[in-house]
Amino acid sequence: MSESRTIKAALASSDELAAPGKSLWHRIEPAALGIGSIVALLVVWELVPRLITLSAGTKLFFTTPSQVAGTLWRLFATGEIWTPLGVSASGFGLGLLLSIVVGLPLGVLIGRSRTLNDMIDPFITAFNATPRLVFLPLVMLWLGLGLWSKVLIVFIGALFPILINTYEGVRNADKVLINVVRSFGAKEWDIARLVVVPNAMPYIIAGLRLAIGRAVLGVVVAEFFGSESGLGVMMVQAAGRYQVDVVFSGLIIFAVLSLALTAMVQILEQRLSRWRPVHVSE
Amino acid sequence: MQNAGAPRESFLERHRKVLLGLLAVLLFFAAWQAAFLVVPFNPLFISKPNLIAKAFVDLIADGDMLRDLGVSAMPFLYGFVSAAVVGIVVGIVMGWRVRVGYALDPLMTVFYATPLVALAPLVIVFFGVGVSGKAIIIFSLSVFPFIFNAQAGVRAVDRLLINVVRSLGGSEWDLYVKVIVPGVLPYIVAGARIAVGRALIGILVGEFFAASEGIGYAIARFGDLFALDKMFACILAIMVIAIVLTEGIRWAERAAFPWRVGR
Repeated sequence: MSESRTIKAALASSDELAAPGKSLWHRIEPAALGIGSIVALLVVWELVPRLITLSAGTKLFFTTPSQVAGTLWRLFATGEIWTPLGVSASGFGLGLLLSIVVGLPLGVLIGRSRTLNDMIDPFITAFNATPRLVFLPLVMLWLGLGLWSKVLIVFIGALFPILINTYEGVRNADKVLINVVRSFGAKEWDIARLVVVPNAMPYIIAGLRLAIGRAVLGVVVAEFFGSESGLGVMMVQAAGRYQVDVVFSGLIIFAVLSLALTAMVQILEQRLSRWRPVHVSE
Repeated sequence: MQNAGAPRESFLERHRKVLLGLLAVLLFFAAWQAAFLVVPFNPLFISKPNLIAKAFVDLIADGDMLRDLGVSAMPFLYGFVSAAVVGIVVGIVMGWRVRVGYALDPLMTVFYATPLVALAPLVIVFFGVGVSGKAIIIFSLSVFPFIFNAQAGVRAVDRLLINVVRSLGGSEWDLYVKVIVPGVLPYIVAGARIAVGRALIGILVGEFFAASEGIGYAIARFGDLFALDKMFACILAIMVIAIVLTEGIRWAERAAFPWRVGR
């Protein structure tokens, strides 16, 4: 880091100021390096089996990006993927929906009442620290191998980020605004609707983003251990048959789904917080 | 909180939070126990707190639980420590060298967004059900919080402070001890708190999948045997360990970096 740049950065407290003097390369450098490293990784991966002769055993476990792409294409072209994908998606969707339906009101309630907060706090701490996966054998015992054990695992995974963030957001609500609304004769319901929930929105959205990651994780593990169909089941079976390309295809589908959903939530966040003068970060 | 500084708060008032929490936990277990006075008790479906307590004591007395925990602890330690070492080094380099950061940022984000747990079946098939397979799953889950937090920590080091130390004649050593380490360490410890939770997921995934011993295997086996009291006892043990680890790190954060409280 050059000395002059450091001083400029210290003066402007950001190096945006240095932008006009930058060359084209300087501006595209981050993107170029970022994309470059991903491309380089894929190329090296693709070239490994061509340059080095792999032993027969290793070859069984090896796949290349081109093979994975071909498998992905085949899975979608033949429509083979839609049934397992649909099963996984319904478990994911129902569980996430349920966690929002339960988590939001409960978060508002806990955030508004100090007594309730103090009473529920130990349970939230305990469940939030514990990997929810530990309940999977129990859930399977109760609900069997079907859809509902998946829904429950997704639900308990996604509930806590939403609940905790909602309640953090509610607790940070502007006391003055609440008093103003109350002075004008608002009921607790009006306070929640007019002040508390809009104020908590950025927190809730941040919680939702975390919850999506947890929910995807929930679907994957629930299907690995206790399910009859779904994308996770497809992957486990493929791993057992050494179809590594199918495993990676499933991995990519899961990754793309969770990235797409997270991006959607981010767009939603921007739309919902347009009125807000200052952006509140997580 | 109008009387926050008032000298004469009653005992109840001062310990309100802890007492209410304790009360709620006691009520919960009491309600659980009492529920079966009304509802018929089916030991194949649910257990009672007194039976769970008895199973817990039995498992400890037999040494079964400690043995299982010991078996699980080995891959946990290997995976977690190597994740910490690799993650901190990679994160610091990514934060310090701007170009390395540019190059690796998108790649790490992609890896982080990918549910890497999904590779567990492959890892198990490849590395077997022993220590190494589990350690690799744990490593791959817990390395990213270290990377991202170490990077964020280095980026957050105040350049002005570095210049001040240099101007006042501080040596390179002073720079590290007085500015860089105190700046980065809180981020790394916060990362460790997240990583512990993910490492616990890793050990459970590894052991549910394919193992012949360990605490995750014990939970799955007691489930298969419909020994719900023992199963609940093991679940409780995991919960206690998880709480002790996470809250322990949180407590250490508060004790060691008091200036960061409230962030």
